[in-house]
Amino acid sequence: MNTSLNWLQDHIDLSDCKTAELADRLTFAGIEVEGITTHGAGMDHVVVAQVVSSDPHPNAERLSVCQVDDGTAEPRQIVCGAKNYKVGDKVPLALPGAVLPGDFKIKSGKLRGVESNGMMCSGRELQISEDHEGLLILDTDASPGTPIGELFESDTLFELEITPNRPDLLSHLGIARELAALAKRPLKGVSHHAATTVSQRPATPEEITLVAPEACPYYTARRISGVQVGPSPDWLKSKLNAIGLRPINNIVDITNFVLFEMGQPLHAFDANKLDGGICVRLARENETFLALDGNEYALENDDLVIADQSKAVAIGGVMGGEDSGVVEGTTDILLESAYFTPSHIRRTSRRLDLSSDSSYRFERGVDPAQTAGASELATKLILELAGGEAEDFLLIAGEAPAPPAPVALDHERAARLLGVPLSPDDMGSILTGLGLEQSKDQRWKIPTYRHDLERHIDLVEEITRVYGIDKIPAREQAAFTEPSKEDARYDAYLRLRQRLVSLGYHDCLTIKLISQDQLADDLCGLRMGSQTQAVPLKKPLSQDHTTLRPSVLPGLLDVAERNIRQGAGSLKFFEIGTVFSKHVKSPKVLESHQLGILLAGDMADHSWHGKPREADIYDLTGLIESLFENDKQKISLRPLEHESLLLAAEILLGKAVIGRLGQVWPKRARAMDREGPLFVAEIDLAKAIKPAAAAEPVQDLPRFPSVTRDIALDVPASMPNAELASYFSKQNERLLVGFQLFDFFSDPSGEKLPADRKSLAYSLTYRAADRTLKSEEVDAAHEKIVRGLEKMSDVRIR
Amino acid sequence: MIEQLDAIHQEALSAVAAVHDEPALEDYRIHFLGKKGTLTQAAAGMRHVAKEDKPAVGQKLNQVRQAITGLVEERAEALLAAKDATAAKGIDLTLPGRRPQEAALHPLTQVMHRGISALRQMGFTLAAGPEVETEFHCFDALNTPVDHPARNEKDTFYFADGHLLRTHTSSVQIRTMETTAPPVRIIAPGSAYRRDEIDATHLSVFSQMEGLYVAEDVSVGDLKGTLERLFHSIFGPKTPVRFRPHFFPFTEPSFEIDIKLQPKGQEARWIEIAGCGMVDPNVFAQICQSRGDDLYDPDKVTGFAFGLGLERLAMIMWGIPDIRWLIENDHRFLGQFAKA
Repeated sequence: MNTSLNWLQDHIDLSDCKTAELADRLTFAGIEVEGITTHGAGMDHVVVAQVVSSDPHPNAERLSVCQVDDGTAEPRQIVCGAKNYKVGDKVPLALPGAVLPGDFKIKSGKLRGVESNGMMCSGRELQISEDHEGLLILDTDASPGTPIGELFESDTLFELEITPNRPDLLSHLGIARELAALAKRPLKGVSHHAATTVSQRPATPEEITLVAPEACPYYTARRISGVQVGPSPDWLKSKLNAIGLRPINNIVDITNFVLFEMGQPLHAFDANKLDGGICVRLARENETFLALDGNEYALENDDLVIADQSKAVAIGGVMGGEDSGVVEGTTDILLESAYFTPSHIRRTSRRLDLSSDSSYRFERGVDPAQTAGASELATKLILELAGGEAEDFLLIAGEAPAPPAPVALDHERAARLLGVPLSPDDMGSILTGLGLEQSKDQRWKIPTYRHDLERHIDLVEEITRVYGIDKIPAREQAAFTEPSKEDARYDAYLRLRQRLVSLGYHDCLTIKLISQDQLADDLCGLRMGSQTQAVPLKKPLSQDHTTLRPSVLPGLLDVAERNIRQGAGSLKFFEIGTVFSKHVKSPKVLESHQLGILLAGDMADHSWHGKPREADIYDLTGLIESLFENDKQKISLRPLEHESLLLAAEILLGKAVIGRLGQVWPKRARAMDREGPLFVAEIDLAKAIKPAAAAEPVQDLPRFPSVTRDIALDVPASMPNAELASYFSKQNERLLVGFQLFDFFSDPSGEKLPADRKSLAYSLTYRAADRTLKSEEVDAAHEKIVRGLEKMSDVRIR
Repeated sequence: MIEQLDAIHQEALSAVAAVHDEPALEDYRIHFLGKKGTLTQAAAGMRHVAKEDKPAVGQKLNQVRQAITGLVEERAEALLAAKDATAAKGIDLTLPGRRPQEAALHPLTQVMHRGISALRQMGFTLAAGPEVETEFHCFDALNTPVDHPARNEKDTFYFADGHLLRTHTSSVQIRTMETTAPPVRIIAPGSAYRRDEIDATHLSVFSQMEGLYVAEDVSVGDLKGTLERLFHSIFGPKTPVRFRPHFFPFTEPSFEIDIKLQPKGQEARWIEIAGCGMVDPNVFAQICQSRGDDLYDPDKVTGFAFGLGLERLAMIMWGIPDIRWLIENDHRFLGQFAKA
């Protein structure tokens, strides 16, 4: 809320307060100061001037040459670019020597060859208003030459963020009241905030009918006739200007003034445009309403309207109508002051996406005790400024909501929660300062404007705020805690991340919402079987983010694409994150943590050391083996048919499938400007990472040397290595302690080896734990293994 | 004979200086020590030496042989050393090294880890909860009124069955208290979702870290102590930290936390960094109702909760100008964090 320091000073003397000090006070009371601007300061050498003549500039179409009366005997020549004035208007004139806000110095000089001795100013140039569409036309009796400072006093504007629990601060009186409590200063006690003195009369059903008391429990109206609508006096205009409101006419300005003075929104109807008495009801089915913002709103049965006998004339508490407002020529007014139920106003405002200064206050809750007082203040001002005659009484319908109930304070408990031994007296004086009163039963009576104070904790909050949290000493203490499952998981993921990063893979974080296109890409299907499906949002914000990702791979593919376009030669990326899916037959969303890996391109950076090797599928499989294999369980791959992958396989750890991997179909890769192969893998971390087992004792180091024998095999191209590896590992030969593939050769051209054959060479290691092996022993063992191989079909020893 | 041997020794001594490579050394060795070498031939003359002179000549012969063998070995060592030196000589140490490919933990992973490490040292443990949440855990149990602005389809992602994407990690507070008896001291890092258009300062999916400490007699002083320590460990022990009263539905009193930082080339200023407060008694009352016991009776326990946005933390820490950089994963961006 824009808050004017001058306006505040109507209620509290702050003349000795520095701006920064005031801002701190507000900040530490929970009122965030989002901006401070000073208006109208440094306006020396700016005076009222009257335009005497205006002629076209001889050399510039857009400029005019004006003669103005600046109060001296001689007319002054000014070159001006604005168009919004006419001869006879009074405007602010900055004389040579003036320094405008922004350190803008005014000097005499020539503009396109024509002498100009000063500058006529807009409201914004002087920081008097936001208006910058032309000169500020002064509506004043002040004679030319009057210093502008006499028309606009300097002021400081605070832009305050008021939290939703404190609607009582949405007015100058409210802020002044709070400052009085915080700074322990008296309020000036301006009379109109006292209880109203006007007599009240219950309205007859012909005058006001409350059909929807749950939305509007309390409605008042005052009839004023014979007013003359016209411009407001300078003091009122300047008050509204100061907080950034544009003055409209005296009646509207007065209602706005009362709103920002007391926090009570009012509405003035043109009584002659109303058809009979007021009916406060819910909107009818399909009722539409033309509001004064020029928009037509389709109302629902839940929206409250203020209606006359034939039509709605306002959306209750939100906005008046285009056709029933006060305009020039209005003579009779019906002035509404009411209490609307906050939740009701909030619903309507949100549904219609229509917010106003009124709805903003009503939906947070206004003080029901000042409904009549605000009406009376406005009436008084209308009679003063617009003339006319008010009816002797205020028409009342319904009942004001009950004042807040008293609240008890347990001093000891409060002190314990704060961690400060504040005495009951200290606490009491804080609450008293805030306008609370201690009743005989020791409970605290709550002011009518503080509906947020309902519970013990609410009083504790007030005490904390006013006492100042900076005075509460920080306490440091810790207790032993048992690590949770989540701790173990976090640590395991972090280790995994650190290993991948040290291998040159970037830790990525992509958005968890993906598009239909990404979903259709079918890489997601790599993880999901036919029985699971992705989870769509009900109302997505954009086409790019319609669905919760069922896989981390679409995001990684985007990352690859972006980096390819940025010229990255090496694509090594991973992401660890949550993915979402559900079973086709159940609405329950399943969340799991996946590791996605994407690999393509150079396995080293380009350098003078030579051209780096390009990543192949074995870089990926080797990485996965290294990350997840343990003593008991090895990684193996089971080939898989998959639409979007050229090579696809399930990844098994022991016997359990933990994920899938493959090469993205080259056509898809080429669409991302990637010529070589691009590999992806996705691993379910809940399946891949086992809780840490108890420590295993280390194996003894061999004491006797080992002997290796190599064997080269010529086998059918279709025979997988796994078949031979499995033969070796199943050997019942005690001396054989290990085997390793050290050479692989095939020749698709068929020149060096028939195309349907391949050559695999293994190195077998023999060792005994208790002695150095004799050559004959090794020969015998090796011979046995070779004989077994020879028996395998289509395996030849080379 | 003795003179002859001395002469050979003398020759060997003077010739060795001319030996500059291995073949020459081999020739040298053969010249003196080979089958037909001068020393070998001289040794053959032993049989003509008078018997009484033999010991002296024999001794001399051995001396000379040892000396020449020594010369050969010494020279061989020297030649190897010279070769080693030459081998290293051409190396230009200013050529770039062959470095392993480097990658980085994502800045959000790093900033999250700093927070987690600091809080674990203070006795917090990790907790988690689902991202697809119920209205109850995201709003109702957190004392958020039914008509609260956040609770509508314009601001929150809902699913057809009424579930929603959690708008804050605060739902983990509820999940934890439902299943764990007090005292609880947890942190819950994770994603949260709001229906915000993505721009330089907003993401629709972002990361938060939630904290909760509930026990008997937890005070505002504890909240201050914990959070001051947290931000000191992230931003340095001298960083000023301040608390401002604020409003959140699920805590009372509530505060926002600012830290004072000096961005490069700018004046030091207060930067809002987190929200916190004492757990609202209504939240405890709701937990008691859900649990069906009174372990969280607001008359028995108190607690504090806090939440911070990790993207914001990372942006402040590294001066990242656009929040989208954090989800684009450009290698030129990520690469900068390899040394962080």
